[in-house]
Amino acid sequence: MDAVIETSGLRKVFGDNVAIEDLDLHVEAGDVFGLLGPNGAGKTTTIRMLTTLLAPTAGTARVCGFDVATRSSDVRRRIGYVQQTVAYRGLLTGRECVEIEAALYHLPGREIPARAAAVLEAVEMLPHADRRWTTYSGGMKKRLDLACGLLHAPEVLVLDEPTLGLDVQSRHNVWEFVRDRRLGGATILLATNYLDEADQLCNRVAIIDRGRVVVQGSPAELKRSVGADVIEVATPEPERLRRAIESEGWVKNIVAGDQGDLHVYVEDASLGMPAVMRLGLEHNIELGRVTYSQPSLDDVFLLHTGRELREVEMAS
Amino acid sequence: MNIEQVARETRARDDTTGGARRRWAQEVLALTRRWWIELLRERLNLASSITQPAIWLVFFGAGVGRAIDEDVIGTGDYTGFMLAGIITFTIVGNGVAGAMPLLWDKETGYLDRLMSMPIARSSVIVSRFVFQVAQQTAQILLVVIVAFVLGVRIATGPLGLVVILLTAALLTMSVTAAFSALAYAVPQHGTFFAVAGFVTLPLLFMSNAFVPLDVMPGWMEVVARANPLTYAIETMRTLVLEGWEPRILLSLAALTVAGGLCLALGTWQFRKQTGDRT
Repeated sequence: MDAVIETSGLRKVFGDNVAIEDLDLHVEAGDVFGLLGPNGAGKTTTIRMLTTLLAPTAGTARVCGFDVATRSSDVRRRIGYVQQTVAYRGLLTGRECVEIEAALYHLPGREIPARAAAVLEAVEMLPHADRRWTTYSGGMKKRLDLACGLLHAPEVLVLDEPTLGLDVQSRHNVWEFVRDRRLGGATILLATNYLDEADQLCNRVAIIDRGRVVVQGSPAELKRSVGADVIEVATPEPERLRRAIESEGWVKNIVAGDQGDLHVYVEDASLGMPAVMRLGLEHNIELGRVTYSQPSLDDVFLLHTGRELREVEMAS
Repeated sequence: MNIEQVARETRARDDTTGGARRRWAQEVLALTRRWWIELLRERLNLASSITQPAIWLVFFGAGVGRAIDEDVIGTGDYTGFMLAGIITFTIVGNGVAGAMPLLWDKETGYLDRLMSMPIARSSVIVSRFVFQVAQQTAQILLVVIVAFVLGVRIATGPLGLVVILLTAALLTMSVTAAFSALAYAVPQHGTFFAVAGFVTLPLLFMSNAFVPLDVMPGWMEVVARANPLTYAIETMRTLVLEGWEPRILLSLAALTVAGGLCLALGTWQFRKQTGDRT
Protein backbone atom coordinates (compact mmCIF):
# COMPACT_ATOMS: atom_id res chain seq x y z
CA MET A 1 0.00 0.00 0.00
CA ASP A 2 1.10 3.55 -0.66
CA ALA A 3 2.03 5.81 2.20
CA VAL A 4 -0.35 8.75 2.27
CA ILE A 5 1.48 10.44 5.11
CA GLU A 6 5.14 9.75 5.68
CA THR A 7 7.37 11.64 8.08
CA SER A 8 11.00 11.03 8.71
CA GLY A 9 13.04 12.55 11.52
CA LEU A 10 10.48 15.31 11.83
CA ARG A 11 11.44 17.88 14.43
CA LYS A 12 10.00 21.17 15.63
CA VAL A 13 11.67 23.52 18.06
CA PHE A 14 10.12 26.67 19.52
CA GLY A 15 12.93 28.67 21.11
CA ASP A 16 14.40 26.30 23.71
CA ASN A 17 11.41 24.02 23.71
CA VAL A 18 11.63 20.90 21.60
CA ALA A 19 8.00 20.25 20.74
CA ILE A 20 8.56 17.36 18.34
CA GLU A 21 11.63 15.14 18.34
CA ASP A 22 12.51 12.72 15.58
CA LEU A 23 8.99 11.78 14.58
CA ASP A 24 8.51 8.95 12.10
CA LEU A 25 4.96 8.26 11.01
CA HIS A 26 3.66 6.04 8.27
CA VAL A 27 -0.01 6.30 7.35
CA GLU A 28 -1.35 4.17 4.53
CA ALA A 29 -4.26 4.78 2.20
CA GLY A 30 -7.54 3.89 3.88
CA ASP A 31 -6.12 4.07 7.39
CA VAL A 32 -7.85 5.75 10.25
CA PHE A 33 -4.66 6.65 12.00
CA GLY A 34 -4.82 7.88 15.58
CA LEU A 35 -2.32 10.20 17.21
CA LEU A 36 -2.97 9.44 20.84
CA GLY A 37 -1.39 11.31 23.69
CA PRO A 38 -1.99 13.75 26.52
CA ASN A 39 -2.34 17.51 26.02
CA GLY A 40 0.99 19.04 25.18
CA ALA A 41 2.36 15.78 23.76
CA GLY A 42 2.85 17.39 20.35
CA LYS A 43 -0.23 16.17 18.48
CA THR A 44 -1.37 19.57 17.30
CA THR A 45 2.16 20.66 16.42
CA THR A 46 2.50 17.53 14.29
CA ILE A 47 -0.82 18.23 12.59
CA ARG A 48 0.10 21.86 11.97
CA MET A 49 3.23 20.74 10.19
CA LEU A 50 1.33 18.18 8.13
CA THR A 51 -1.27 20.78 7.15
CA THR A 52 1.50 23.23 6.09
CA LEU A 53 0.64 25.74 8.82
CA LEU A 54 3.99 25.33 10.50
CA ALA A 55 7.39 24.80 8.94
CA PRO A 56 9.37 21.83 10.34
CA THR A 57 12.69 22.70 12.00
CA ALA A 58 14.25 19.54 10.60
CA GLY A 59 13.27 16.30 8.94
CA THR A 60 10.76 15.75 6.18
CA ALA A 61 7.04 15.19 5.94
CA ARG A 62 5.21 14.10 2.84
CA VAL A 63 1.48 14.11 2.35
CA CYS A 64 0.17 12.27 -0.73
CA GLY A 65 3.74 12.23 -1.94
CA PHE A 66 4.28 16.00 -1.68
CA ASP A 67 6.73 17.57 0.70
CA VAL A 68 4.90 19.91 3.09
CA ALA A 69 7.71 22.45 3.02
CA THR A 70 8.32 22.71 -0.71
CA ARG A 71 5.01 21.63 -2.25
CA SER A 72 2.61 23.13 0.25
CA SER A 73 -0.03 24.12 -2.32
CA ASP A 74 -0.23 20.57 -3.62
CA VAL A 75 -0.62 19.33 -0.06
CA ARG A 76 -3.35 21.87 0.73
CA ARG A 77 -5.39 20.76 -2.27
CA ARG A 78 -5.45 17.21 -0.96
CA ILE A 79 -6.19 17.67 2.70
CA GLY A 80 -9.34 18.51 4.56
CA TYR A 81 -8.38 19.96 7.91
CA VAL A 82 -10.79 20.26 10.80
CA GLN A 83 -9.27 22.19 13.63
CA GLN A 84 -9.52 21.51 17.32
CA THR A 85 -11.32 24.76 18.08
CA VAL A 86 -14.51 25.51 16.20
CA ALA A 87 -13.87 28.06 13.47
CA TYR A 88 -15.59 31.38 14.19
CA ARG A 89 -17.99 32.28 11.40
CA GLY A 90 -19.74 35.37 12.72
CA LEU A 91 -23.10 36.30 11.28
CA LEU A 92 -23.14 33.91 8.33
CA THR A 93 -25.61 31.07 7.90
CA GLY A 94 -24.35 27.52 7.72
CA ARG A 95 -25.01 27.35 4.00
CA GLU A 96 -23.18 30.61 3.32
CA CYS A 97 -20.14 29.38 5.27
CA VAL A 98 -20.03 26.21 3.21
CA GLU A 99 -20.59 27.95 -0.12
CA ILE A 100 -17.86 30.51 0.54
CA GLU A 101 -15.40 27.78 1.41
CA ALA A 102 -16.44 25.80 -1.66
CA ALA A 103 -15.42 28.82 -3.74
CA LEU A 104 -12.13 28.98 -1.85
CA TYR A 105 -11.52 25.42 -2.99
CA HIS A 106 -12.18 26.65 -6.53
CA LEU A 107 -15.21 24.49 -7.19
CA PRO A 108 -17.01 25.72 -10.32
CA GLY A 109 -19.70 28.25 -9.36
CA ARG A 110 -22.59 26.29 -10.88
CA GLU A 111 -21.64 23.17 -8.87
CA ILE A 112 -21.34 24.95 -5.55
CA PRO A 113 -24.99 24.86 -4.36
CA ALA A 114 -25.25 21.11 -4.99
CA ARG A 115 -21.91 20.38 -3.39
CA ALA A 116 -22.74 22.54 -0.35
CA ALA A 117 -26.04 20.71 0.09
CA ALA A 118 -24.31 17.34 -0.23
CA VAL A 119 -21.72 17.98 2.47
CA LEU A 120 -24.33 19.52 4.77
CA GLU A 121 -26.47 16.42 4.23
CA ALA A 122 -23.48 14.22 5.09
CA VAL A 123 -23.36 15.73 8.58
CA GLU A 124 -27.15 16.03 8.89
CA MET A 125 -27.02 19.79 8.92
CA LEU A 126 -29.13 20.41 5.84
CA PRO A 127 -32.30 21.16 7.85
CA HIS A 128 -30.38 23.87 9.76
CA ALA A 129 -28.45 25.22 6.78
CA ASP A 130 -30.19 28.57 6.63
CA ARG A 131 -29.91 29.43 10.29
CA ARG A 132 -27.17 31.72 11.42
CA TRP A 133 -24.01 30.14 12.72
CA THR A 134 -24.34 32.02 16.04
CA THR A 135 -27.56 30.10 16.80
CA TYR A 136 -25.89 26.67 16.47
CA SER A 137 -24.98 24.48 19.42
CA GLY A 138 -21.37 23.37 19.93
CA GLY A 139 -22.06 20.02 18.29
CA MET A 140 -23.69 21.66 15.26
CA LYS A 141 -20.76 24.03 14.82
CA LYS A 142 -18.40 21.08 14.90
CA ARG A 143 -20.51 19.27 12.31
CA LEU A 144 -20.40 22.32 10.07
CA ASP A 145 -16.60 22.33 10.31
CA LEU A 146 -16.57 18.65 9.42
CA ALA A 147 -18.79 19.35 6.41
CA CYS A 148 -16.40 22.04 5.21
CA GLY A 149 -13.54 19.57 5.48
CA LEU A 150 -15.28 17.40 2.87
CA LEU A 151 -15.96 20.06 0.23
CA HIS A 152 -13.14 19.23 -2.13
CA ALA A 153 -13.33 15.45 -1.60
CA PRO A 154 -9.92 15.45 0.07
CA GLU A 155 -7.65 12.44 -0.09
CA VAL A 156 -6.78 12.88 3.56
CA LEU A 157 -8.99 14.17 6.31
CA VAL A 158 -7.09 15.60 9.26
CA LEU A 159 -9.17 15.85 12.42
CA ASP A 160 -7.63 17.49 15.46
CA GLU A 161 -9.47 16.38 18.62
CA PRO A 162 -12.80 16.27 16.80
CA THR A 163 -14.87 15.42 19.88
CA LEU A 164 -13.22 17.71 22.41
CA GLY A 165 -15.85 19.40 24.56
CA LEU A 166 -18.82 17.73 22.83
CA ASP A 167 -21.71 16.02 24.57
CA VAL A 168 -22.13 12.28 24.26
CA GLN A 169 -24.66 12.45 21.44
CA SER A 170 -22.52 14.81 19.34
CA ARG A 171 -19.51 12.69 20.05
CA HIS A 172 -21.24 9.63 18.64
CA ASN A 173 -22.28 11.67 15.60
CA VAL A 174 -18.63 12.47 14.95
CA TRP A 175 -17.66 8.84 15.37
CA GLU A 176 -20.35 7.87 12.91
CA PHE A 177 -18.99 10.49 10.52
CA VAL A 178 -15.47 9.06 10.75
CA ARG A 179 -16.72 5.52 10.13
CA ASP A 180 -18.71 6.67 7.10
CA ARG A 181 -15.66 8.44 5.64
CA ARG A 182 -13.61 5.34 6.16
CA LEU A 183 -16.13 3.21 4.35
CA GLY A 184 -15.99 5.78 1.55
CA GLY A 185 -12.27 5.10 1.24
CA ALA A 186 -10.85 8.25 2.84
CA THR A 187 -7.63 8.24 4.79
CA ILE A 188 -8.07 9.89 8.15
CA LEU A 189 -5.53 11.23 10.59
CA LEU A 190 -7.16 11.76 13.94
CA ALA A 191 -5.55 13.32 16.99
CA THR A 192 -7.21 12.52 20.26
CA ASN A 193 -6.56 12.21 23.95
CA TYR A 194 -9.54 9.94 24.43
CA LEU A 195 -8.49 6.31 24.68
CA ASP A 196 -11.89 4.93 23.81
CA GLU A 197 -12.03 7.13 20.73
CA ALA A 198 -8.72 5.80 19.42
CA ASP A 199 -9.78 2.28 20.32
CA GLN A 200 -13.18 2.56 18.62
CA LEU A 201 -12.20 4.35 15.44
CA CYS A 202 -8.57 3.75 14.54
CA ASN A 203 -7.04 0.80 12.84
CA ARG A 204 -3.60 2.15 13.66
CA VAL A 205 -2.43 4.27 16.55
CA ALA A 206 0.76 6.10 17.39
CA ILE A 207 1.07 6.91 21.06
CA ILE A 208 2.86 10.23 21.49
CA ASP A 209 4.37 11.61 24.64
CA ARG A 210 6.61 14.66 25.06
CA GLY A 211 7.11 15.07 21.32
CA ARG A 212 8.12 11.50 20.60
CA VAL A 213 6.33 8.42 19.29
CA VAL A 214 6.36 5.99 22.17
CA VAL A 215 4.92 3.06 20.26
CA GLN A 216 2.75 2.47 17.22
CA GLY A 217 0.60 -0.32 15.89
CA SER A 218 -3.00 -1.43 15.74
CA PRO A 219 -4.92 -1.02 19.01
CA ALA A 220 -5.27 -4.80 19.25
CA GLU A 221 -1.52 -5.36 18.75
CA LEU A 222 -0.65 -2.71 21.27
CA LYS A 223 -2.98 -4.18 23.83
CA ARG A 224 -1.68 -7.69 23.20
CA SER A 225 1.85 -6.42 23.82
CA VAL A 226 0.76 -5.45 27.33
CA GLY A 227 -0.09 -9.02 28.30
CA ALA A 228 -3.37 -10.82 28.50
CA ASP A 229 -4.96 -9.26 31.58
CA VAL A 230 -4.32 -6.50 34.08
CA ILE A 231 -4.95 -6.83 37.79
CA GLU A 232 -5.15 -3.54 39.64
CA VAL A 233 -4.42 -3.78 43.34
CA ALA A 234 -4.87 -0.88 45.75
CA THR A 235 -2.66 -1.27 48.79
CA PRO A 236 -0.97 1.00 51.34
CA GLU A 237 2.23 -1.02 50.89
CA PRO A 238 2.75 -1.37 47.13
CA GLU A 239 6.51 -1.95 47.39
CA ARG A 240 6.15 -4.88 49.80
CA LEU A 241 3.50 -6.40 47.60
CA ARG A 242 5.70 -5.97 44.55
CA ARG A 243 8.56 -7.82 46.27
CA ALA A 244 6.15 -10.54 47.37
CA ILE A 245 4.88 -11.34 43.91
CA GLU A 246 7.51 -10.24 41.40
CA SER A 247 9.39 -13.55 41.37
CA GLU A 248 6.25 -15.58 40.58
CA GLY A 249 6.29 -17.19 37.16
CA TRP A 250 2.75 -16.09 36.23
CA VAL A 251 3.57 -12.39 36.70
CA LYS A 252 4.59 -10.84 33.38
CA ASN A 253 5.15 -7.28 34.52
CA ILE A 254 4.37 -4.92 37.37
CA VAL A 255 3.98 -1.19 36.96
CA ALA A 256 3.12 1.29 39.69
CA GLY A 257 0.07 3.44 38.98
CA ASP A 258 -0.11 7.06 39.93
CA GLN A 259 -2.14 6.60 43.09
CA GLY A 260 -0.06 4.03 44.91
CA ASP A 261 -1.79 1.12 43.25
CA LEU A 262 -0.05 -1.67 41.37
CA HIS A 263 -0.86 -2.85 37.86
CA VAL A 264 0.04 -6.52 37.67
CA TYR A 265 0.13 -7.93 34.14
CA VAL A 266 -0.70 -11.62 34.03
CA GLU A 267 -1.52 -14.35 31.54
CA ASP A 268 -4.90 -15.13 33.06
CA ALA A 269 -6.57 -12.95 35.66
CA SER A 270 -8.92 -15.68 36.89
CA LEU A 271 -5.88 -17.50 38.28
CA GLY A 272 -3.81 -14.42 39.03
CA MET A 273 -6.35 -12.66 41.24
CA PRO A 274 -6.60 -15.40 43.89
CA ALA A 275 -2.83 -15.84 43.75
CA VAL A 276 -2.20 -12.14 44.41
CA MET A 277 -4.64 -12.22 47.32
CA ARG A 278 -3.10 -15.36 48.78
CA LEU A 279 0.43 -13.91 48.61
CA GLY A 280 -0.82 -10.68 50.16
CA LEU A 281 -2.29 -12.57 53.11
CA GLU A 282 0.79 -14.76 53.53
CA HIS A 283 3.03 -11.68 53.76
CA ASN A 284 0.54 -9.88 55.94
CA ILE A 285 0.08 -7.05 53.43
CA GLU A 286 -3.19 -5.15 53.63
CA LEU A 287 -5.02 -5.22 50.32
CA GLY A 288 -7.66 -2.71 49.35
CA ARG A 289 -9.61 -3.01 46.14
CA VAL A 290 -8.54 -5.77 43.73
CA THR A 291 -9.97 -5.52 40.23
CA TYR A 292 -9.08 -6.87 36.87
CA SER A 293 -9.60 -5.69 33.31
CA GLN A 294 -8.73 -6.44 29.76
CA PRO A 295 -5.76 -4.26 28.85
CA SER A 296 -6.72 -0.87 27.45
CA LEU A 297 -4.67 1.67 25.53
CA ASP A 298 -4.18 3.35 28.89
CA ASP A 299 -2.24 0.28 29.98
CA VAL A 300 -0.18 0.57 26.81
CA PHE A 301 0.56 4.20 27.64
CA LEU A 302 1.43 3.30 31.24
CA LEU A 303 3.67 0.46 30.13
CA HIS A 304 5.68 2.70 27.81
CA THR A 305 5.76 5.99 29.70
CA GLY A 306 5.39 4.96 33.34
CA ARG A 307 2.44 7.34 33.63
CA GLU A 308 -1.26 6.94 33.18
CA LEU A 309 -2.82 8.96 30.40
CA ARG A 310 -5.86 9.75 32.53
CA GLU A 311 -3.67 11.08 35.31
CA VAL A 312 -1.64 13.21 32.91
CA GLU A 313 -4.93 14.65 31.69
CA MET A 314 -6.09 15.43 35.23
CA ALA A 315 -2.83 17.19 36.02
CA SER A 316 -3.04 19.34 32.94
CA MET B 1 -21.95 13.93 -13.01
CA ASN B 2 -21.34 12.89 -9.45
CA ILE B 3 -20.33 15.77 -7.18
CA GLU B 4 -17.42 13.88 -5.71
CA GLN B 5 -16.14 13.63 -9.25
CA VAL B 6 -16.55 17.36 -9.74
CA ALA B 7 -14.44 17.99 -6.67
CA ARG B 8 -11.77 15.60 -7.91
CA GLU B 9 -11.76 17.18 -11.32
CA THR B 10 -11.45 20.62 -9.77
CA ARG B 11 -8.36 19.41 -8.00
CA ALA B 12 -6.95 17.82 -11.12
CA ARG B 13 -7.47 21.10 -12.97
CA ASP B 14 -5.90 23.12 -10.16
CA ASP B 15 -2.87 20.88 -10.29
CA THR B 16 -2.12 22.18 -13.72
CA THR B 17 -0.53 25.61 -13.77
CA GLY B 18 -3.16 27.45 -15.82
CA GLY B 19 -6.04 29.53 -14.51
CA ALA B 20 -4.20 30.96 -11.52
CA ARG B 21 -5.69 34.41 -12.09
CA ARG B 22 -9.22 33.05 -12.37
CA ARG B 23 -8.81 31.08 -9.15
CA TRP B 24 -7.44 34.13 -7.40
CA ALA B 25 -10.43 36.20 -8.51
CA GLN B 26 -12.75 33.49 -7.22
CA GLU B 27 -11.02 33.52 -3.83
CA VAL B 28 -11.12 37.31 -3.51
CA LEU B 29 -14.80 37.38 -4.49
CA ALA B 30 -15.71 34.64 -2.03
CA LEU B 31 -13.92 36.37 0.84
CA THR B 32 -15.35 39.76 -0.10
CA ARG B 33 -18.80 38.17 -0.05
CA ARG B 34 -18.10 37.05 3.49
CA TRP B 35 -17.22 40.61 4.60
CA TRP B 36 -20.30 42.03 2.88
CA ILE B 37 -22.71 39.58 4.47
CA GLU B 38 -21.26 40.41 7.86
CA LEU B 39 -21.56 44.17 7.32
CA LEU B 40 -25.10 44.00 5.95
CA ARG B 41 -26.24 41.99 8.97
CA GLU B 42 -24.74 44.45 11.39
CA ARG B 43 -27.26 47.17 10.70
CA LEU B 44 -26.08 49.54 13.40
CA ASN B 45 -22.47 49.25 12.27
CA LEU B 46 -23.53 49.74 8.67
CA ALA B 47 -25.63 52.85 9.40
CA SER B 48 -23.03 54.47 11.64
CA SER B 49 -20.12 53.79 9.30
CA ILE B 50 -21.90 55.17 6.25
CA THR B 51 -23.23 58.32 7.95
CA GLN B 52 -20.35 59.18 10.25
CA PRO B 53 -18.24 61.16 7.74
CA ALA B 54 -21.26 63.27 6.79
CA ILE B 55 -21.95 63.99 10.46
CA TRP B 56 -18.33 65.07 10.96
CA LEU B 57 -18.51 67.37 7.98
CA VAL B 58 -21.58 69.11 9.37
CA PHE B 59 -19.92 69.37 12.78
CA PHE B 60 -16.73 70.88 11.38
CA GLY B 61 -18.43 73.11 8.84
CA ALA B 62 -21.11 74.53 11.12
CA GLY B 63 -19.12 74.58 14.36
CA VAL B 64 -15.34 74.54 14.17
CA GLY B 65 -15.35 76.57 10.96
CA ARG B 66 -16.42 79.67 12.93
CA ALA B 67 -13.17 79.61 14.90
CA ILE B 68 -10.96 79.33 11.84
CA ASP B 69 -8.90 82.17 10.39
CA GLU B 70 -9.57 82.33 6.66
CA ASP B 71 -6.10 83.80 6.00
CA VAL B 72 -4.42 80.76 7.57
CA ILE B 73 -6.31 78.12 5.61
CA GLY B 74 -6.30 80.26 2.47
CA THR B 75 -10.00 79.94 1.64
CA GLY B 76 -13.33 81.13 2.95
CA ASP B 77 -14.86 77.71 2.25
CA TYR B 78 -13.96 75.83 5.42
CA THR B 79 -16.38 72.99 4.68
CA GLY B 80 -14.72 72.56 1.28
CA PHE B 81 -11.32 72.75 2.97
CA MET B 82 -12.26 70.05 5.49
CA LEU B 83 -13.90 67.71 2.96
CA ALA B 84 -10.58 66.12 1.98
CA GLY B 85 -9.55 65.84 5.64
CA ILE B 86 -12.78 64.11 6.58
CA ILE B 87 -12.57 61.64 3.73
CA THR B 88 -9.08 60.83 4.97
CA PHE B 89 -10.27 60.43 8.60
CA THR B 90 -12.83 58.00 7.31
CA ILE B 91 -10.22 55.96 5.50
CA VAL B 92 -8.02 55.75 8.59
CA GLY B 93 -11.03 54.84 10.74
CA ASN B 94 -12.00 52.15 8.23
CA GLY B 95 -8.43 50.88 8.27
CA VAL B 96 -8.54 50.32 12.03
CA ALA B 97 -12.08 48.89 12.00
CA GLY B 98 -11.26 46.86 8.90
CA ALA B 99 -8.39 45.05 10.58
CA MET B 100 -10.72 43.75 13.29
CA PRO B 101 -12.12 40.81 11.32
CA LEU B 102 -8.53 39.81 10.58
CA LEU B 103 -7.76 39.93 14.31
CA TRP B 104 -10.80 37.78 15.12
CA ASP B 105 -9.90 35.31 12.39
CA LYS B 106 -6.43 35.07 13.80
CA GLU B 107 -7.54 34.71 17.42
CA THR B 108 -10.43 32.34 16.81
CA GLY B 109 -8.35 30.13 14.55
CA TYR B 110 -10.34 30.70 11.37
CA LEU B 111 -7.20 32.09 9.80
CA ASP B 112 -5.61 28.66 10.23
CA ARG B 113 -8.54 27.12 8.43
CA LEU B 114 -8.08 29.61 5.58
CA MET B 115 -4.35 28.99 5.46
CA SER B 116 -4.85 25.25 5.23
CA MET B 117 -6.80 25.85 2.01
CA PRO B 118 -5.18 26.08 -1.40
CA ILE B 119 -5.64 29.85 -1.61
CA ALA B 120 -3.17 32.57 -2.54
CA ARG B 121 -1.77 34.28 0.54
CA SER B 122 -2.67 37.69 -0.86
CA SER B 123 -6.39 36.88 -1.25
CA VAL B 124 -7.30 37.69 2.34
CA ILE B 125 -5.70 41.15 2.36
CA VAL B 126 -6.87 41.96 -1.16
CA SER B 127 -10.45 40.97 -0.29
CA ARG B 128 -10.34 43.38 2.65
CA PHE B 129 -9.08 46.06 0.31
CA VAL B 130 -11.83 45.46 -2.26
CA PHE B 131 -14.46 45.44 0.48
CA GLN B 132 -13.20 48.63 2.08
CA VAL B 133 -12.97 50.52 -1.19
CA ALA B 134 -16.60 49.61 -1.90
CA GLN B 135 -17.70 50.63 1.58
CA GLN B 136 -15.85 53.92 1.54
CA THR B 137 -17.10 54.80 -1.94
CA ALA B 138 -20.58 54.81 -0.43
CA GLN B 139 -19.34 56.90 2.49
CA ILE B 140 -17.60 59.41 0.23
CA LEU B 141 -20.57 59.80 -2.10
CA LEU B 142 -22.79 60.55 0.87
CA VAL B 143 -20.39 63.08 2.38
CA VAL B 144 -20.00 64.79 -1.01
CA ILE B 145 -23.78 65.08 -1.32
CA VAL B 146 -23.96 66.59 2.17
CA ALA B 147 -21.13 68.98 1.25
CA PHE B 148 -23.06 69.95 -1.87
CA VAL B 149 -26.11 70.75 0.25
CA LEU B 150 -23.85 72.87 2.48
CA GLY B 151 -22.75 74.83 -0.59
CA VAL B 152 -19.47 73.11 -1.54
CA ARG B 153 -18.94 72.81 -5.31
CA ILE B 154 -16.12 70.55 -6.49
CA ALA B 155 -14.02 72.75 -8.76
CA THR B 156 -13.16 69.88 -11.11
CA GLY B 157 -16.74 68.62 -11.40
CA PRO B 158 -17.89 64.97 -11.72
CA LEU B 159 -14.59 63.84 -13.24
CA GLY B 160 -12.84 65.38 -10.22
CA LEU B 161 -15.11 63.29 -7.98
CA VAL B 162 -14.01 60.15 -9.82
CA VAL B 163 -10.36 61.10 -9.25
CA ILE B 164 -11.16 61.76 -5.57
CA LEU B 165 -12.58 58.23 -5.29
CA LEU B 166 -9.48 56.80 -6.97
CA THR B 167 -7.20 58.79 -4.68
CA ALA B 168 -9.14 57.47 -1.69
CA ALA B 169 -8.71 53.92 -3.00
CA LEU B 170 -4.99 54.49 -3.38
CA LEU B 171 -4.67 55.71 0.21
CA THR B 172 -6.79 52.78 1.35
CA MET B 173 -4.17 50.48 -0.09
CA SER B 174 -1.57 51.97 2.28
CA VAL B 175 -3.87 52.11 5.29
CA THR B 176 -5.42 48.64 4.89
CA ALA B 177 -2.05 47.02 4.31
CA ALA B 178 -0.43 48.81 7.25
CA PHE B 179 -3.19 48.01 9.75
CA SER B 180 -3.44 44.43 8.45
CA ALA B 181 0.31 44.07 9.01
CA LEU B 182 -0.17 45.39 12.53
CA ALA B 183 -3.08 43.00 13.13
CA TYR B 184 -0.94 40.04 12.10
CA ALA B 185 2.15 41.21 13.97
CA VAL B 186 0.65 41.81 17.42
CA PRO B 187 0.36 38.97 19.92
CA GLN B 188 -3.28 39.79 20.77
CA HIS B 189 -5.99 42.33 19.98
CA GLY B 190 -5.34 44.48 23.05
CA THR B 191 -1.94 45.39 21.65
CA PHE B 192 -3.48 46.19 18.30
CA PHE B 193 -5.91 48.70 19.77
CA ALA B 194 -3.22 50.25 21.97
CA VAL B 195 -0.92 50.80 18.99
CA ALA B 196 -3.72 51.82 16.62
CA GLY B 197 -5.08 54.29 19.18
CA PHE B 198 -1.60 55.67 19.71
CA VAL B 199 -0.82 56.29 16.02
CA THR B 200 -4.21 57.30 14.60
CA LEU B 201 -4.56 60.81 16.01
CA PRO B 202 -0.91 61.86 15.49
CA LEU B 203 -1.23 60.53 11.95
CA LEU B 204 -4.12 62.94 11.37
CA PHE B 205 -2.64 65.91 13.24
CA MET B 206 0.73 65.46 11.59
CA SER B 207 -0.85 65.92 8.19
CA ASN B 208 -2.41 68.86 6.40
CA ALA B 209 -5.92 67.76 7.40
CA PHE B 210 -6.50 70.77 9.66
CA VAL B 211 -3.66 73.13 8.74
CA PRO B 212 -2.06 73.79 5.34
CA LEU B 213 1.58 72.73 5.03
CA ASP B 214 2.94 76.24 4.40
CA VAL B 215 1.71 77.65 7.72
CA MET B 216 3.11 74.74 9.79
CA PRO B 217 6.26 75.09 11.90
CA GLY B 218 9.24 73.75 9.92
CA TRP B 219 9.69 70.47 11.83
CA MET B 220 6.00 69.67 11.55
CA GLU B 221 6.04 70.25 7.84
CA VAL B 222 8.90 67.75 7.51
CA VAL B 223 6.87 65.14 9.41
CA ALA B 224 3.73 65.95 7.43
CA ARG B 225 5.56 65.53 4.15
CA ALA B 226 6.57 62.02 5.13
CA ASN B 227 2.93 61.18 5.89
CA PRO B 228 0.98 59.54 3.02
CA LEU B 229 -2.21 61.16 4.34
CA THR B 230 -0.81 64.55 3.35
CA TYR B 231 -0.62 63.56 -0.32
CA ALA B 232 -4.13 62.18 -0.40
CA ILE B 233 -5.48 65.33 1.26
CA GLU B 234 -3.40 67.55 -1.02
CA THR B 235 -4.82 65.85 -4.11
CA MET B 236 -8.42 65.82 -2.99
CA ARG B 237 -8.33 69.37 -1.60
CA THR B 238 -6.85 70.75 -4.81
CA LEU B 239 -9.55 68.98 -6.83
CA VAL B 240 -12.29 70.41 -4.58
CA LEU B 241 -11.04 73.99 -4.11
CA GLU B 242 -8.79 74.82 -7.06
CA GLY B 243 -8.92 72.66 -10.17
CA TRP B 244 -6.67 70.46 -12.29
CA GLU B 245 -3.24 71.46 -10.99
CA PRO B 246 -0.10 69.61 -12.16
CA ARG B 247 1.02 69.01 -8.55
CA ILE B 248 -1.79 66.48 -8.24
CA LEU B 249 0.30 64.09 -10.33
CA LEU B 250 3.22 64.41 -7.93
CA SER B 251 0.98 63.71 -4.93
CA LEU B 252 -0.54 60.68 -6.64
CA ALA B 253 2.94 59.37 -7.41
CA ALA B 254 3.93 59.75 -3.74
CA LEU B 255 0.74 57.93 -2.70
CA THR B 256 1.45 55.11 -5.11
CA VAL B 257 4.93 54.65 -3.67
CA ALA B 258 3.53 54.65 -0.12
CA GLY B 259 0.87 52.14 -1.15
CA GLY B 260 3.47 49.84 -2.69
CA LEU B 261 5.64 50.01 0.44
CA CYS B 262 2.77 49.31 2.81
CA LEU B 263 1.53 46.44 0.67
CA ALA B 264 5.03 44.91 0.70
CA LEU B 265 5.12 45.35 4.48
CA GLY B 266 1.66 43.83 4.90
CA THR B 267 2.40 40.85 2.69
CA TRP B 268 5.70 40.25 4.44
CA GLN B 269 4.10 40.32 7.89
CA PHE B 270 1.30 38.10 6.68
CA ARG B 271 3.68 35.51 5.31
CA LYS B 272 5.79 35.67 8.42
CA GLN B 273 2.86 35.29 10.78
CA THR B 274 1.04 32.62 8.84
CA GLY B 275 4.15 30.65 8.00
CA ASP B 276 5.32 29.90 11.48
CA ARG B 277 2.80 30.56 14.19
CA THR B 278 2.51 28.47 17.29
